[in-house]
Amino acid sequence: MPDRQRVTAKMSVREILAFLRETPGYFLTNNERDVSQSDFKCRILPRTTLRVAPYRDDTGYFAFEVTGGASVHVDLMNRQINPFEKLRLVKQRMPQTLVQTVCRGRNLFGYRPYPDNVLRMTVRLFARYVDVWRVYDFLNHVPNLEVVGREVQKAGKLLMPCVCFNTGVGHTDEYYVAKVGEILDTFGEEIIVGIKNHSAVGSPRRIASLVAAITSRYPELILAYHGHNTDANDLGRLVAAVENGVKIVEVADHGYGGMYSQAPALSLIQTLNDYGYKAPGLKVQPIVDASDLLRRERRHYERFETPFRGFDPTVKRHKLTGGAASIAFEQAQSLGLLERIHQIFSELMDVNREMGNIWSVTPGSQILWSTAVSNVIHGRYENPSDDLKNLLLGRYGPFPFYEPQQWIYEKVLEHGRRDGKKWYQILADEAGIQPLPDVDLEAKRKELEESLRRPASDEELCLYVQFPKDALDYFRFEDTFGKAWLLPPDVWYRRGGFRDGETIRIPDEEGKTHQIDVVSTHRKADEVETSLLVDFHFQTYSVPLNHPKR
Amino acid sequence: MFKKLLVANRGEIAIRIIRSAQELGIRTVAIYEETDKTAMHIMKSDEAVCIGSGPRKDYLDIDRIVQAAKAVGADAVHPGYGFLAENPLFSKRCTDNGLLFVGPPPQVISDMGSKVIARKVMTEAGIPVIPGSGVLPDGQDGEKEALEFARRHGFPIMIKAVAGGGGRGIRVANDTAELVQGLRLARSEARMAFGDERIYLEKGLKNPRHVEVQVLADGHGNVVHLGTRNCSIQRRHQKMIEIAPATLPSLVEERICEDAVRAARATGYVNAGTVEFLVDSEDQYYFLEVNTRIQVEHTVTEMVTGVDIVREQLRIAAGEGLSFGQDEVKVRGHAIELRINAEDPKNGFIPNPGHIRIYQSPGGHGVRLDGCIYQGYEIPRYYDSMLVKLTVYGFTWHEAVDRLRRALDGFNIVGVKTTIPFYKQIVQEPDFVHQKFDTSYIDTHPELLDYREEVPEFDRLARLIAEINAYGLNPYAERS
Repeated sequence: MPDRQRVTAKMSVREILAFLRETPGYFLTNNERDVSQSDFKCRILPRTTLRVAPYRDDTGYFAFEVTGGASVHVDLMNRQINPFEKLRLVKQRMPQTLVQTVCRGRNLFGYRPYPDNVLRMTVRLFARYVDVWRVYDFLNHVPNLEVVGREVQKAGKLLMPCVCFNTGVGHTDEYYVAKVGEILDTFGEEIIVGIKNHSAVGSPRRIASLVAAITSRYPELILAYHGHNTDANDLGRLVAAVENGVKIVEVADHGYGGMYSQAPALSLIQTLNDYGYKAPGLKVQPIVDASDLLRRERRHYERFETPFRGFDPTVKRHKLTGGAASIAFEQAQSLGLLERIHQIFSELMDVNREMGNIWSVTPGSQILWSTAVSNVIHGRYENPSDDLKNLLLGRYGPFPFYEPQQWIYEKVLEHGRRDGKKWYQILADEAGIQPLPDVDLEAKRKELEESLRRPASDEELCLYVQFPKDALDYFRFEDTFGKAWLLPPDVWYRRGGFRDGETIRIPDEEGKTHQIDVVSTHRKADEVETSLLVDFHFQTYSVPLNHPKR
Repeated sequence: MFKKLLVANRGEIAIRIIRSAQELGIRTVAIYEETDKTAMHIMKSDEAVCIGSGPRKDYLDIDRIVQAAKAVGADAVHPGYGFLAENPLFSKRCTDNGLLFVGPPPQVISDMGSKVIARKVMTEAGIPVIPGSGVLPDGQDGEKEALEFARRHGFPIMIKAVAGGGGRGIRVANDTAELVQGLRLARSEARMAFGDERIYLEKGLKNPRHVEVQVLADGHGNVVHLGTRNCSIQRRHQKMIEIAPATLPSLVEERICEDAVRAARATGYVNAGTVEFLVDSEDQYYFLEVNTRIQVEHTVTEMVTGVDIVREQLRIAAGEGLSFGQDEVKVRGHAIELRINAEDPKNGFIPNPGHIRIYQSPGGHGVRLDGCIYQGYEIPRYYDSMLVKLTVYGFTWHEAVDRLRRALDGFNIVGVKTTIPFYKQIVQEPDFVHQKFDTSYIDTHPELLDYREEVPEFDRLARLIAEINAYGLNPYAERS
């Protein structure tokens, strides 16, 4: 007999849903992926995740989101870990907790649609490790969720299709209830439906109304809620969601949950406790222990936190999603536009409105933000991106409420055309979701294997077809340096090199500690010689400073 | 017992001999060439003498070695294996100069060194010998005789150098064309390798097992055997893995050992020697040759019998009788020995000399190492590529294989390529694990070379740390 009531990774989808329906109270999902993405530019390392894993596993969370979104790409590009290996390690260290991902529908973990066979292969391979699939489309176009959703169900994993939430024209309870109905019609009732409030918009009262409208129409439906704390009001919205029937809400650890990600778990538990709501099977002490550890780790990631700290209640107007809001100020600064940030935000509001009041979440958030910045720099729609053209052409899906005005179509679609085609002709000839031909996976495998000069695994092929250059760079890195994820953050993110006499202790995968002592550094004009004692054996490495790849 | 022993060899066997001598209270003298001055055997001996600039020529120079032995006041010389170990002149010169030679008398070395004489002696002693020819005459006559031999015995046919041994000077002919061409080539190779171009033929056995018997004979007429060894796993006739006992049917084992003792008596053998046989698929065995020296693989016999063969060699050379009788020799368990060489198996096993940056070795119950390297050692390119001999003992065959696998995993040698990854493949290969191997094993298992070179995990991470140190930031964390 289990020592307490909790969802476990050994349960089937049916068992999980039955347990959620039958068990009074609410459940929490720890979203480290979003904390890392929204507050630390995706730079939280697996080493930190694995250190804190036993506490999180003991907490009794419904799920732990650690992959998906931008994290897959950043795993390859900056954290230098195979995203599949990361999941394997997390599953080992957190055997009781469901592992969750967020997937951008047809855009998977990237920014543009992928062919169906790539979607299917990716879901099939990730589903070996991922139990809960939070899937959304930035236009709430349900057909864009179909291939991924069906493959998740085929793999026997828990599907959580989401409705992206926003406020303003068109965003009524009726619209969202109908959208939930469309999702249920598409995928059946053995699912959880997620409400995705990525932009932290709406008051607690607005969320209460929305949830009440959905639960009164679909009383048997299990609802989950994902929000952000950008305006410092996530807690209020979470309480409202639970009060009105949401079963699962997403939270962060108070030790490093910041402003742009989720509200702290413990704050919510304490508040809901006062309201008379309990989280069954949840332990509080491991949450405290995890945060104590994370506070100490956090200093290694300080460089990746935004220097422009403070909540941003203006998100109500510009509606940037958590991660995008955190870096908006830094991007503006890098473009020399920091003084004009509110002009950009104003422009962003206008662009949002002009683009049909859609949802500012990846990849839509990038299109809207870059259009606003471009409009400020070059003039309104004077320098449109290809992604904006594709949005207007309906390549991602139809506008849900209304279409942009004709002058915008004219400016954007006719920009740079050499054939002299008018915007309405372009729309007539080229608009709509384009079916993408399947990728020849065996040809891609051959191409990859020729580049690597060794056999490639299915997982490697899957990453390669999504991120060809960065995946290849990563595989070469791994072939050279091995399991770099073993390095602690203070080594991985070290600035200024190491002191002579410094000792670096690194626990390996089996828990044994290895020691690398920095003996001396000899700097020459074009190379640096570093002498190290590696597990007490002397090694000297010469690193040329003019290496072409650096 | 004599007081001072000069070891006329280098590497692991020199150290092996020094150890036994020191246990008997004998003072030891190492010799070395200038090109070998950092070798470990020099450090292990009580005294050392440089015998010349090298490379190799001075270790083969009888005059210099005898002179060195006299100069240091040695009263005995142990030749080890290789170099001058089976040169009857060396044995004779030692004896002529009043030095005890730890090995058989010159005439025995000479007789057994001639494969043709050896075969004749064995035939007369009633020991089964593979059908073979006499020394082939040169030119057309030799060719004619060879073709007649082929007609009578069929192919394959082994073309062997009279002065060959230890797997050297052997060619295989599978048809008439190969035979005719092989005669010319074998003659030329024999001349180059041994200074003696005489060759003879033997009927080839298909995929035989190579089995040998260790014998010890004292100067008082006592001869004993220490059981069998299976040395079938060979690469181009060079032994790679040796096993004791050979695990033959008990009656065959008994007969082959008795025949080995008979062979030793027939040759007037004194000291340690090995009688080698080929065993066919029907367990019929045939005399192959006698090795008149201590052998690389003697350690497996020591592991299963408990006898210190080198110690016995020294005692016999000093005129003492064997310290035990045949009845006291008990073979128990299984031992496996393999040669860890600085070679690149993926590149035709070419030697890979270089600087030993890391050397960590295994140990524990049933693991014996006979090595000659140390961390920081620069392996000279002039000599044998053997770094260390690993011998393991197990109460059962499977225990020995398990221990061998564990011991191989315990090595960490960085700086040169070694044969360890190749052996790691073998210890998990089903045919080996189930003791199904003969002399064709390496050729019929090409997949053994299909392994990835592994750099120790933390060496790779150390290299990354060196890059972070050099650049003052991690270039791989900063991509955008």
